[in-house]
Amino acid sequence: MKHKEMVYMTPMPVRIWHWLNAFGIVTLCITGLQIRFPDYINIFGAYKAAIRLHNTAGVVVSISYMLWFIYYLVVAKSLLKLYVPTLEDLKSGILRQAYFYFLTYFVGKPNPHHSTPDSKFNPMQNAAYLVIMFILLPLVVLSGALLMYVAPLRELLLLLGGIKMLVGTHFLLACCFTAFLFVHIYLATLGHTPFAHFKPMWNGWEEETVEDTLPTKDK
Amino acid sequence: MHANKRILWISFSLLMMFTLSAFAALPENEKCMNCHGQREIKSIAGNNVYIDPAKFVATTHAIVGCASCHDRVSSDHPGDGSAPTRATCGDCHGPIFDEYSKSLHGSKARCNDCHNPHDVKLPVIMSGDEINGKCAKCHDTRKTLQNHAKWLPQAELHIDSLLCITCHTGSKDYVITMSIESRQPGSKDVFKSATYEELATLSKMEDIGRLIDLNGDNLVSLEELRVFNHHLRGKNMRLWGMMTPEIVTHSYQILENRWDCSFCHASGPKAMQKSFLAFPQKKGGYTRLAVEKGAILDILYGTPDFYMLGSTRSTPLNIVGALIVIAGLSFPLGHGFFRLLTRKNRKEDDHEA
Repeated sequence: MKHKEMVYMTPMPVRIWHWLNAFGIVTLCITGLQIRFPDYINIFGAYKAAIRLHNTAGVVVSISYMLWFIYYLVVAKSLLKLYVPTLEDLKSGILRQAYFYFLTYFVGKPNPHHSTPDSKFNPMQNAAYLVIMFILLPLVVLSGALLMYVAPLRELLLLLGGIKMLVGTHFLLACCFTAFLFVHIYLATLGHTPFAHFKPMWNGWEEETVEDTLPTKDK
Repeated sequence: MHANKRILWISFSLLMMFTLSAFAALPENEKCMNCHGQREIKSIAGNNVYIDPAKFVATTHAIVGCASCHDRVSSDHPGDGSAPTRATCGDCHGPIFDEYSKSLHGSKARCNDCHNPHDVKLPVIMSGDEINGKCAKCHDTRKTLQNHAKWLPQAELHIDSLLCITCHTGSKDYVITMSIESRQPGSKDVFKSATYEELATLSKMEDIGRLIDLNGDNLVSLEELRVFNHHLRGKNMRLWGMMTPEIVTHSYQILENRWDCSFCHASGPKAMQKSFLAFPQKKGGYTRLAVEKGAILDILYGTPDFYMLGSTRSTPLNIVGALIVIAGLSFPLGHGFFRLLTRKNRKEDDHEA
């Protein structure tokens, strides 16, 4: 027999960070599109308005990233446990998860990974978030910060190969984040109902289906 | 001044210019420069009346000759005690004079306040620093920066990359003019336009254009730009670009459309195809070489330190970026399609991701 249980999966600070970050990144992608292609796209009216909004959203995302980092590292003390894949994950976990997403999911097999508050992410998520949160996001924040102050930070820009290198890196990273958004939102609909994974990111609680542990009278 | 006589003089001089080149004016100029070319020369009133011969000879005024503007110099000069007559700029440059007089600047400064007639050069043979330097004689750079910073994002960067007249006159036909800038080794000073001597030392040739134009065809190719940028590394030099007008006007004004960033930034890569490289000349002034069309849009090495948001974006980089986004979008579309086809295979509780 199975029964439903409510599990407190996502603490409030993480939820606040997530939505702040989500709103910020969507704003950055849309304003960024106008900044790069102003002759084709005009969503926010004046070009300067798009730049100001882009810079503000960039600062919001940078601060929320720092808060996220400090929360997981110092308060929750679970940064490494949650985000660094184990050797087992790398050896077989990622392949097993990919096998599920690309094949066994379609024939109705269950997900090989079961989320718990201490192990929220499957091995593929783990590897993806490791790259995104520890490499891509810091790089896009850093390149964006340098581009906000080109004249005062000229020396640093020259050391890094010049402004074009920086703009190119920032643009390609932004494209990676846009691609990630599509994949991330879609994967979030793969719960037992399309919104099952959205709810815990809103109120913290996730509905889990678990096997009964108590023996029944018949047995 | 007898206007007709002056026009005759000018016509005659221009005729000489086209027929006998500058040689016709030179003996007469030489006579004047024998005294006025002496650094210590003073007028009877005690004013400095020195004219730098090297700078004067490079002007178009040297071709029309001293007497075109100072036509009543007596044979007893300077012993006769009278000051030579002076033509007004409007006598020859009438349309420009009228245009300038009607502009916002007309009542603020005279022609001579910005242009020394004995050291006047066409904008195309001047560096951006030189042109902006004329404005900075009255408009304090620090205050200019503060005023622009009130509304212009990254004001310092804009002022470094634009001629004042790009926004404050009705000048048109903008191109990117690049020049080589340098600074003292080991110093954190700002970059300044490299001198002819510096570049001659670097190139070890008199024709410093060959520093970049390696094959000497008077066209700087993208490949030559890349090689040069590679060569510049670690030499305290950089290639700097400025947006400059090809057609310069004297219609100083506050143009409403210049408050709108999209005037420059939304002009698109098509408007950014034409660029030049300006080299300082041994006798002063600059000469410029055309750069391969579209070279400043090169992803990295064409002009690594010059980028104009929105306008100098690179198409190959856009294609790479689009492929990344398409890859991200294709996963939900592909997976979602098969998910729809196989939806009957899944029981509600067993397939959570």
